Amino acid sequence: MVHAHSRRRALIVEDNKDIRDLLVQIVTAQGFTAFEAETGAEGLELVQAGAMNLITLDLNLPDMDGIEVCRKVRELSDAYVLMITARVDEIDRLNGLETGADDYISKPFSPRELQARISALFRRPRSPEPEAASGAQEREHAAEVQRSLLPGAAVLLDGYEIGGGCRPARNVGGDFFDWNATEEGLQLTVADAMGKGMGAALIAATVRAVLRTSIKHTDLDTAFNAAGGILEKDLEQAGSFATVFHARLNADCGTMGYVDAGHGLAMHVHDGGLSRLSSGGPPVGAVPGAVWTSGSIVLAPGDAMVVVSDGLLDAFDSVEAAMAAVAAVVDAREKAQDASDAILELAHGEGITDDVTAVVVRRSPVVGGLAPGPDR
Amino acid sequence: MNFTVDTAAESYAEVKGAGRLNMVSAAKLREVVSDVVAGGSNHVVINMAEMDFMDSSGLGALIGCLKIARQAGGDLRIANVQSQVKMVLELTNMNRVLTPYDNVEAAFADV
Repeated sequence: MVHAHSRRRALIVEDNKDIRDLLVQIVTAQGFTAFEAETGAEGLELVQAGAMNLITLDLNLPDMDGIEVCRKVRELSDAYVLMITARVDEIDRLNGLETGADDYISKPFSPRELQARISALFRRPRSPEPEAASGAQEREHAAEVQRSLLPGAAVLLDGYEIGGGCRPARNVGGDFFDWNATEEGLQLTVADAMGKGMGAALIAATVRAVLRTSIKHTDLDTAFNAAGGILEKDLEQAGSFATVFHARLNADCGTMGYVDAGHGLAMHVHDGGLSRLSSGGPPVGAVPGAVWTSGSIVLAPGDAMVVVSDGLLDAFDSVEAAMAAVAAVVDAREKAQDASDAILELAHGEGITDDVTAVVVRRSPVVGGLAPGPDR
Repeated sequence: MNFTVDTAAESYAEVKGAGRLNMVSAAKLREVVSDVVAGGSNHVVINMAEMDFMDSSGLGALIGCLKIARQAGGDLRIANVQSQVKMVLELTNMNRVLTPYDNVEAAFADV
């Protein structure tokens, strides 16, 4: 799970060994670490396994059509894709297709031409090119919509501070967080829908909407189980599930009631270190008829509750190591938003392929013997 | 990932694969298991000895396969679970439903 690569990564998908060797030579000379695949299936496994920056893709592979491989790559990765075809006339056809490729080159090619094409790709910002315009525009729009669903401004709550951030691995993703003010304090949700891309984002939006309206139940267990029951049917039909962390803060006493539905990555950061929050049941939609139970913690002045998503784990050897690093980062920062930004930075390696989310709720420390807020 | 099916045992069918259980291989696993169940073996063991990675789509496939087996009146169990896969099951609390067994034979020892 550890990815500490500082070099850019290139994947060569090509069944002809001579051409593959040549391509490896070219990209290595350009400073890439090269990975090789002989078939489309092997290539897709490697794309899924590690964040690639560049993929060269032969159009005629033994097991799959290169166009199909390219479409699948696009579901998994933002890497620049350079298609390589043996036929010049194929290029016209390819240009008319929504393959998601960034450029095409025909065999035989000169090493110098290929190098120039690769350099050109990396000079331009990652943006949709004409061949993928409508699909890319749609994805971009979906990403905008998804961003607009994230809480815009922090809830203003005396004595508390809240910060959060989300970095989708691609345009749209299954991770989201949400918070809103309630009569007692605030309600907070962090969730991760199965899979990646648009399908996961649609599920995420549904989960958000259903949990938002669950506030009508005053009891947290009742609220979550009612929401879980509604979502279960939708998720079942979609063959999907979502891990959900949902909490309600009573600002006066600092009590945070929560339900952890298969999320597993929430913690209480306090004087003595960190305590992970207990699980209250399986992910929503994973087990028919599931029942969830809530737990609670009390945030003392200076304490924080932190929730991250599993994308962060890609950067660490173990869950414990990841949690300890998160707690250290939160400890070292006063502002909740700074802490949340710093957590996302922990997951900034090139090997990170999943969405990453972090939310931090901090109860303000006692200043001059008075806790601001809770005694207002 | 390619999956192989072994129906030599009397009480269950064993499905084995090697590599990463992710979005790409998840769909395949669902297909393989539904074929196995449709073929009359509703007790299925997934031998995960050589599956060293599973993401959320992979977990989704296991959950889907479990539903398929249970709907057919059987069950699906997992054996030889590797550390990363075990971690995902524990984090998501799914180890209560998909309990890892030490080996394939132990999975349906009670049946």
